[in-house]
Amino acid sequence: MPDIIDVQNLVVVYPDGTRAVEDISFNVKEGEFFGFLGPNGAGKSTTIKTLTTLLRKASGRVSVAGYDLDKSPKEIRKSIGVLTQETSLDVDLSGWQNLHLQGRLQQLHGSILDDRIKELLKLVQLEDVAKKSAGRYSGGMRKRLDLASALIHKPKLLFLDEPTTGLDTQSRAAIWEYLEGLNRNEDITIFLTTQYLEEADRLCRRLSIIDHGKIIADGTPWELKEAIGGETITLTLTDASLKSRTMDILKSIAGISNAMVSDSGVVAYAKNAGQIIAEVITTLDRNGIRPSFLSIGSPTLDDVFLRETGRRIRADELSRRETEPFLM
Amino acid sequence: MSLLERYLTKLVKNPTLLGTNLFTPLLFLVLFSQLLTKFSTFLPGQSGGYLAYLTPGVVMLNAMIGAPQGGVSLANDLNSGFLSKMLLTQVVRPAILLGRLLTDMFVTVIQSIITIVVAVAMGVTISSGLPGVLLMLLTAAFFEFALSGVFLTVGIRTRKTETISALSGVLFFPLIFISSAMFPVSFFPDWAQTVAKYNPVSYASDVTRDLVVGGLTVNTFVSAYLLIGIIALASFLATLYQFRKVIS
Ligand SMILES: Nc1ncnc2c1ncn2[C@@H]1O[C@H](COP(=O)(O)OP(=O)(O)OP(=O)(O)O)[C@@H](O)[C@H]1O
Ligand SMILES: [Mg+2]
Repeated sequence: MPDIIDVQNLVVVYPDGTRAVEDISFNVKEGEFFGFLGPNGAGKSTTIKTLTTLLRKASGRVSVAGYDLDKSPKEIRKSIGVLTQETSLDVDLSGWQNLHLQGRLQQLHGSILDDRIKELLKLVQLEDVAKKSAGRYSGGMRKRLDLASALIHKPKLLFLDEPTTGLDTQSRAAIWEYLEGLNRNEDITIFLTTQYLEEADRLCRRLSIIDHGKIIADGTPWELKEAIGGETITLTLTDASLKSRTMDILKSIAGISNAMVSDSGVVAYAKNAGQIIAEVITTLDRNGIRPSFLSIGSPTLDDVFLRETGRRIRADELSRRETEPFLM
Repeated sequence: MSLLERYLTKLVKNPTLLGTNLFTPLLFLVLFSQLLTKFSTFLPGQSGGYLAYLTPGVVMLNAMIGAPQGGVSLANDLNSGFLSKMLLTQVVRPAILLGRLLTDMFVTVIQSIITIVVAVAMGVTISSGLPGVLLMLLTAAFFEFALSGVFLTVGIRTRKTETISALSGVLFFPLIFISSAMFPVSFFPDWAQTVAKYNPVSYASDVTRDLVVGGLTVNTFVSAYLLIGIIALASFLATLYQFRKVIS
């Protein structure tokens, strides 16, 4: 399979000097569902804007859909569909009119366009409200309409910048289903960014974890979690000053492969956590440390992030700040 | 073309906007012509009295009210991300600007037609007939185009609709009243006459007025179109410059 996206040593610097993307390289194969997972300000939108020709890169080599970014931005735009982070609809126009406008701007006409609009309204389940002003749509409906408009010209490659951020669980599940269908049934390659671990884990066949403009880990979700080595033992400590001593004690216990300070306590990794948990508790107790909460679990992508950065991604699933205006 | 359609559909869906924009010119037309009837005696040798004097000024008022709309719309599109969305399509990029400019010129023409129809209903005769009316509409559209570049430039640069409203508010009254648009400049004190003499609104109004009351000279025509043309060119180049900075 040829690479549909190939990025080598990409650097993007904003006019104010912010180095938002710092030398990243990755590639996406045709038909793949690929993701960027990272916290606020990691450089996800900057990367997408650059790859979709909206932002100029400082250096590096980028090819998208077989075209060089510097030489053929027009051809790239023709081949891709883009769902920007902020939903950009004309709120004065109806759902149908929004799609019609988008279709006309993509050089579609007549019955071909009408049929395509019908098909897409059905896909995103907005047929009943097609005549209503987009301004009266709910957040989830707007996102679905925006997704439909990104698909109007049947792109083979779809860029999605945080498609479910700020949405309720039900809308999120609906979007996930559409995306999986598009990737599986219509063979559309998808590049998605997200700050939700669960989303990356469920949708992406392969992903890169990005922080401060750098890729800190990549692979399949399974590979990434597997590399953690075993299960996680999470301890919550009410006394933050005990964190580093607790970490040292845990590290000295046989069977624990690694331990790290996290924001609320300490996380330790062990092959067979269940078998050594009794020893963990007694050892800590002997040292006068009593965690207020302790749990054993399978590693998540957040553990990967923690291992690489010492921090958690912890996207707050419900409340999020308003997004900044798109574009440069 | 589809963009023109977009803006016009938006307009139709917001009839209050069109209504408010038309309200001020029509109010001026009716109010001033009914209140300041005595002005007619100060306009010896002019057919049609003060109403005929006022009509062309009100046509230009339509152009001035239409001018900031493009800047507002582009600032909104920049902020909402809709401009990015348009830039990602296959639409040729100048069409994004052109679509907006054409829409506002079109709206100015429609408003001017309504103004002229009302004026004629009130008793004004357009001495130059239909060709004259067409030239009036062309002048209004051209003047609107020239001014809209100023607001487009500001809109793209600041991305703030409030800045555009503030700017148009500051410019609007001095430009319209210290010109020959509403009142004969001979009524003004010397300083105001000087201002009016260099005010582009005077030039645009004078050409249009000669089409209503008769006596258009090549000189008036050329100097007005030259001045508006220079403003149009300068403001359009400034707009283009700002727009290119944003889209590259
Ligand atoms: N127009 C801009 N000018 C200067 N700096 C910017 C601009 N846009 C973004 N940045 C900075 O670049 C960095 C990366 O931003 P980016 O928007 O790519 O992050 P992100 O991963 O998309 O975050 P989020 O999850 O919040 O959308 C941040 O530090 C941000 O403050
Ligand atoms: Mg972002």
